[in-house]
This record gives sequence, structure tokens and C-alpha cells, in this order.
Amino acid sequence: MARAAEQKPSPILDAMRQIREDAASYRGIWSWITTVDHKRIGIMYGVTALGFFLLGGIEALLIRLQLSTPNARVLDPDQYNRIFTMHGTTMIFLVVMPLSAAFFNLITPLMIGARDVAFPRLNAFSYWVFLAGGIFMNASFFTGGNILHGELGAPDAGWFGYAPLTLNRFSPGEGVDFWALGLQILGIASMASGFNFIVTILNMRAPGMTLFRMPLFVWMTLVTSFLIVFAMPVITVALFELLFDRLFDANFFNVAKGGTPLLWQHMFWLFGHPEVYILILPAMGIVSEVLPTFARKPLFGYPFVVFSGIAIAFMSWGVWAHHMFTTGLGAIANSAFGVSTILIAIPTGVKIFNWLATLWGGSISLKTPLYFAIGFIAMFTIGGLTGVTHSIVPSDYQQQDTYYVVAHFHQVLFGGAIFGLFAGIYYWYPKFTGRMLYEGLGQVQFWLMFIGFNLTFQPMMILGLLGMPRRIYSYPQGQGWDAWNLVATVGAFLIATSVLIFIINVIATARRKERAEADPWDGRTLEWSLPSPVPAYNFAKIPTVHALDDFWHQKYAEDESGRPVPVAAGGSGEEEPEVDVHGIHMPSPSFFPLITALGLPIIATGLIYDPAIVAVGAAVLVVGIYGWALEPASE
Amino acid sequence: MGAHKTFWTRLLPAILLVAVLLLVLGCNNSDPQNTFSPAGDVARRQRDLFNIVLWPAVAVLVLVETLLVYAVVRFRRRKGDELPAQVHGNSRLELGWTIAPAVLLMALTVPTLSAIWDLGRAPAADALQVKVTGIQWRWQFEYPDIKDSQGKPLQVFDQLHIPVNKEIGAHLQSLDVIHSFWVPKLAGKLDVMPGRENRMWFNATKPGTYSGQCAEFCGLGHADMRLTVVAESEEDFQAWVDDQLKGGGSAGAKPGTPDLVSRGE
Repeated sequence: MARAAEQKPSPILDAMRQIREDAASYRGIWSWITTVDHKRIGIMYGVTALGFFLLGGIEALLIRLQLSTPNARVLDPDQYNRIFTMHGTTMIFLVVMPLSAAFFNLITPLMIGARDVAFPRLNAFSYWVFLAGGIFMNASFFTGGNILHGELGAPDAGWFGYAPLTLNRFSPGEGVDFWALGLQILGIASMASGFNFIVTILNMRAPGMTLFRMPLFVWMTLVTSFLIVFAMPVITVALFELLFDRLFDANFFNVAKGGTPLLWQHMFWLFGHPEVYILILPAMGIVSEVLPTFARKPLFGYPFVVFSGIAIAFMSWGVWAHHMFTTGLGAIANSAFGVSTILIAIPTGVKIFNWLATLWGGSISLKTPLYFAIGFIAMFTIGGLTGVTHSIVPSDYQQQDTYYVVAHFHQVLFGGAIFGLFAGIYYWYPKFTGRMLYEGLGQVQFWLMFIGFNLTFQPMMILGLLGMPRRIYSYPQGQGWDAWNLVATVGAFLIATSVLIFIINVIATARRKERAEADPWDGRTLEWSLPSPVPAYNFAKIPTVHALDDFWHQKYAEDESGRPVPVAAGGSGEEEPEVDVHGIHMPSPSFFPLITALGLPIIATGLIYDPAIVAVGAAVLVVGIYGWALEPASE
Repeated sequence: MGAHKTFWTRLLPAILLVAVLLLVLGCNNSDPQNTFSPAGDVARRQRDLFNIVLWPAVAVLVLVETLLVYAVVRFRRRKGDELPAQVHGNSRLELGWTIAPAVLLMALTVPTLSAIWDLGRAPAADALQVKVTGIQWRWQFEYPDIKDSQGKPLQVFDQLHIPVNKEIGAHLQSLDVIHSFWVPKLAGKLDVMPGRENRMWFNATKPGTYSGQCAEFCGLGHADMRLTVVAESEEDFQAWVDDQLKGGGSAGAKPGTPDLVSRGE
């Protein structure tokens, strides 16, 4: 069809080509809106996710204020339920996942020696859909009446949305509709990005970059992307069933009409447990890059770490029912899932020991990225071990749905994922901004966050063992919970302070005069061979890769005893490009990913309020897809 | 510098041990929902099982954190450091730390599986049967085998009386959303589902009043969906039953008890 259109000169196509050519010369905001550059998209992902991190953090502080003392009245039960639902949903889908996606975008193409991802416009589309989904989800806050009077409209059934509490009868209002439709929109963003990175990694590697010469972060991007494309469809089906129940009076989960509430839990956790590894594997990949660089040693047992990552991904499909031990599945199911959950600790333990061995015998440079990576190992270990205690099924009957579980998964998702992601932020910040974050402020942030984290979440472990259930808006005096709750609240405000210091660091760094070198940490992987910030075309000349940690081997050779010795003039990142950069073919900017993405929240709004709006959204979507498909390249 | 190093590497295990001790001792036995002070066979078995996994877990934790801090302090970069030897791995070591945890973890499955089957058995036929119904946001307890003069089974709300040292067979069902029946000192929780009956057994081995609450998020009143279990001698229990059947009963029925039958459909 495109060829037929090319043969006949068409005014529309000419105009589209002209727009695209003009877009290439845009500056400022328009250049960001039309960008298909993986680095800019990565930065947008990161900034947006950090914005949502502040929002989710404020929600966390409200929760902690309400629980700081018994019988508190900071929030009423209705507000509390909406805010803890949005805290969980935000932190998982709008913070940790997109922050990981930011690193996929920023780092993966550089590490494999590519000029961009396989589908640059699809990549832009992923970002815009994510942004649209995040805004749509949070717009639900305004649907409950006057928000200034505290009348919140957000979903109120928990991030796990257990049926039948999510049905209209028990959760009237639009909150749960916004939640389910918002997750569907975000799922589209994740799927598009998952496919994009699988194809990018499999097809776009530089010559010589065999699979087992890929940096570990690239491996974890690949594994995570596979998990995303297999896990997301499961929740998509579950959410459609829920939406059919809510919008069209279907009966998937309605017991009175023969529905099965437990069906929701099976599907939700069949998605939900791989999801846990979608959240943690990217951070593991980052830590596996940071440790070797700062210890100046290669990753210990690279194949073991790769295979244990793959093993975790496979096994994550066989443990979902450990979220359901107390639902009455029976002894056979509980035994099987108890054992499978015990087994998943093995590959996880392998990773921890390999990281320790990477540090062992190194020459460890104690810089901020390393502090966060160490914090990751220290806290994730607790998360893993508490996970093992959950697999002791009858003991879990006591801990399930208590603050012990809350403590456990924050050890993994905050002590693990967030610490790992901050390691990545400090590590790669100079590569994309051309400036180093201040080291002193970075270490202050780390220690405040580390101490605050432990004050917040270790007391929760005790609270759980003292019988405090999750998701309660208040508790009476005399349970022995008062002191621990107060400590946890103090810790939460220390974490908030640490985040404030990070923001100060970013602002102060922006005013910094001195520019970062191309290779400030003596890095091992290809991105450090490029100037900071990286030019739009990444590699003036596509490199040929000869080894794992190729850039390190350009800089150092090993003598007979295995000691590395610097190579004269090896691996300078400041070399003048050898080829004419104007000869490099780069993807053209485009408006259509944004237009296509805009159609989705409009359709979702229509499903809740008025079918006519669905038609409008569908029209926008169709225009976007057609334009996208027919858009001619500039030149 | 050496003194500094040993100071930290010795301090760290000490800090961790103190933290764990605090964790255990910080829990007061008189705290009403403390899972470390069981008053029933089920809760006791669950507590013992937790202790079986807790101490190996603490040992692994201390090992990993000590190695971590030791490595960072011992191998931190000093002025004039040469580049370290580029060790790429050691298959024997790595196999070792794959197999050792596997063995340790598989050992844990033995007590786990036996407890799953022991605790998961059906309630005994001669147990005192109780129908537990979760309703947003109350607990209804019905004794199907204890009937008044008109043959209507005894029903109470929010406070369950049981004879001490007698097995209770609980039949759980919900009239609306999912709840979870949990009295920490007597037994771990079991979900109360709409449209399906879950069964569990438990007992109280000491007389007393035990506090519990709904453990599955069930909406606005989730935090207020509390219950108590009064475990008393056989005679006291009989006296309470007689009192209830005479109509003098007020146990658990708070003023303004909603009409549950119409609410629950």
C-alpha cells in the first residue's frame, strides 16, 4: 500500500513528510514530544517515574501518619483504603517498572553497540501510553466529589483487587473502573516495550557481541522482557473479566450467579509472581554492573549469574499459589507450592554469593553507586530469607496478611529494587547529563535512606509477628504495637528526607560547571567508550566486540600472572568520530506515537462514562495508527 | 587501620544478634495477638516451625552481612593500589554454594510437609462444631449441635465461647466478600470465602480470652472486624450455653446489631 501511495504523488503524504522533516529541527519541548531517540525516551521514563515516586511517597507518609498512634484520625477509613490502594499500584506500575524501563532504554542499546532500539516509534509509543495510563489512573482521585474536602474517588480495593470486593456491589463508584482500565493501558505500554527490547537484544547487537558476551544488565533486560510479554496477558484477561462484571453485569466473580472469586486470585498471582521478578531482575542487573566496575574485577561466575537469572524467571511461574496458602487450597497444593517456593531461594542465593565473591579480593572504590549496590545486597538478603520463612507453609498461616509480609516485600522492592535503581541513577547519571552528581550529598542520601529504611521496615516484621494485620486503617491501644508503629513512621520521614536530598543533589548538579569525563568510573562496558553526554547517533562507528567487558579489554591487557596492565592509549572515549556523522541513518521524529497513545485513555474514559466518548477515542486511535503506518521517512 | 577493621567486623555480628534478640524479646507474651505465645496446639506447632526456620535464617543472614561488610572494609581501595587479579569465577566454589543451600532448604521441607498434613486434616467427628460466618464487618458463630427448645441452633456474634482442651471444628463461610478468620494465639488464619466452605480445627490448651481479627481486607470496616474467643472449663462453658439458651444471653451481641440475614442476602 505504501508503495502504491509513493507512485502517485499525494498532498497528504507530502505534508506528512514535510512535518517530519520540520520536526527534525525542533528544539525544546517539541523535540521531546516528537522524539524517537532511546536516550531521550529513557530520560522521560526516568523523570516521570521519579515524579510518581514522589506521589507514591506522599501516600506512604499519609499511611504512616495515620498508623503512627492508635486510634489516629489523620485519614478516615475510606480515604485510608483509597490511599493504600494507590500507594501500592503507583509504586509497582508507575515507579519501579518504568524506572527499570528507563534503564532498559538508556543503557541497553549502548551496551550492545546499537544506534537505537529495533522499533524507535514503538518505543516512544510505550512511553506515551505509560504516561497516559499513569495520569488516567491518578485522575480517579478527582471523581469522588470535592477533593479539597477530602472526598477522594480513587480505587479502594487494594492493589491486588480481590474479587468480589471489587464488584459494583461492594465497591461502588468509578475508582475500581479507573484502576482496571488504567492497568490495561499500562499493560499495553509494558507489552510494547517488552517486545521491543527482545527484538532489539536479539537482532541489534554489534558484530562479535555474542549472547555470552552481553553485559549482565542486558541479560536481565532480556529475561525481564520475556517475563513481561508472558505475564501481562494473564492479568489482561483477569482485568477484562473484572471489567465485564463491572461494566456489563457479567458473572465471572459473582458468587450469587455461580461465579468464582478464587479464579481472580489464581490469575492475579499467576501474573503477580512473575511481576515480582519483573520488578527485581533489572535492579539485579544494575548491581551486577556496578559491583565489577567499583571492585575493578569481572563479575564472579558470569555464567552462573546469567543462568540463575534465567532459572528464577522460569521458576517464577510455578510459585503463584504461595500468595494463597490461607485460601483453603488443600494440603496437596500447599505442599507443592511450599516446596517450589523453597526451591526458588536457591538461584537467588547463588546470585548473592557471586556478588560477594565479586567484591572479594577487589580494589573497592567506595563511591555512591557502590554504597547503593551494597545496600541492595544487605537488604535484599533479608527479603530473600523472610521469603524462605513464608515457604514454611503452616508458619505462613500466621504471617500471611500481616505486617511481616509488608516488611518482607519492602525488603525486596525497596531495599532491593529501589536501592538497586538508585545505584544505577548515580552510576549512569554522568553518561546522559554530562555532569557527576555530588558525591557527598549522594552518601548522605544513602545513609539517611538506609537508616530510614531499616527503622521503617524492620519494626514491621515485629508488628506482623505480634499479630498486626495489613490494610487496617487503625488499631486499638494495648496490642503492644504502639512503639513499633511510631518508630516506623519516624523511619518513613527519614526516607522522605533522603529523597529530598536527592532532589537537592540533582538541582545542585545542574548548576555544576565541570563536565563529566567519558569514563569517570573506569567502566567495563561499551557505553563508557562514548562521550558524555552520548551523541544522538551513539556510535560514530559501530564497534566490533571481542570479549565480555570489551571496553575494559581495550583499556587493559593481562600479563602472564593474570594481572591487568593498562594498554597505552587504549579505549579513549574522546576520540573524534572516524566517519561522517551525517552519513548515519537515524530514525525520524514523529507525532504519531503520541496521537495513538492519546486514543487509549479517551476510550477508557468512555467505557466508564459514555459510549460516545469511546467512538472519539477510537477515532483518535485509528488516525494515529494509520498515520504511523503510512508516515514517510524524512530526507 | 587493622584495628578499625576488626572493630567493625566484630561489631556487626553483635549488632545483628542484638537486633534479632530484640525482635524475639521485644514481643511481650501478654500482647494479645502475639504469635510467639501460643495457647493452642495449632498455634504452638506453627510457632515451633517458625523457630526451626528462623535460626538457620539468622545464621545465613549474619554470615552474608559479615562477609559483605568484611569484604568492603578489607578490600576498599587504598592509595597506590594495583589493579586486582581478574578472577572470573570458580566452578567448584559456585557449585558448593548452590548445593549447600539446596541441602539446607530441602531439609526444611520435611517438618513443613508433615505440619501441612497434620494441621490440614479434617476436624475430628467428636469435635465441637462451629459454623463461622463472616459478614461485613461482624462475625457470626453458630453451634449446629447446641439447640434451644424450639430446635434452633445457638447463635452469637463476635465472641466465641469454647471449652478448653476440646477440639473445635470450624466451618467457615462468608455472606459477602472474602474475610479471614484469625485468632493468633490459637491458630493461624484461614480465609472465609463466599460460595465455598473452608474447614479447620484448633483448640485452646489454656483457659483465657483470646483476641483475633479479620485478616483479609474486606472494605471500610476491615480494621473493626474483631473477635474474641473465650476458652473456659467444660462446666463454665455449659453454664454459658444454658444462660444463652434461656435467652439471657448478651454475649457478643453489641447494641444495634444489624439484621444480618437481610444484609447478607
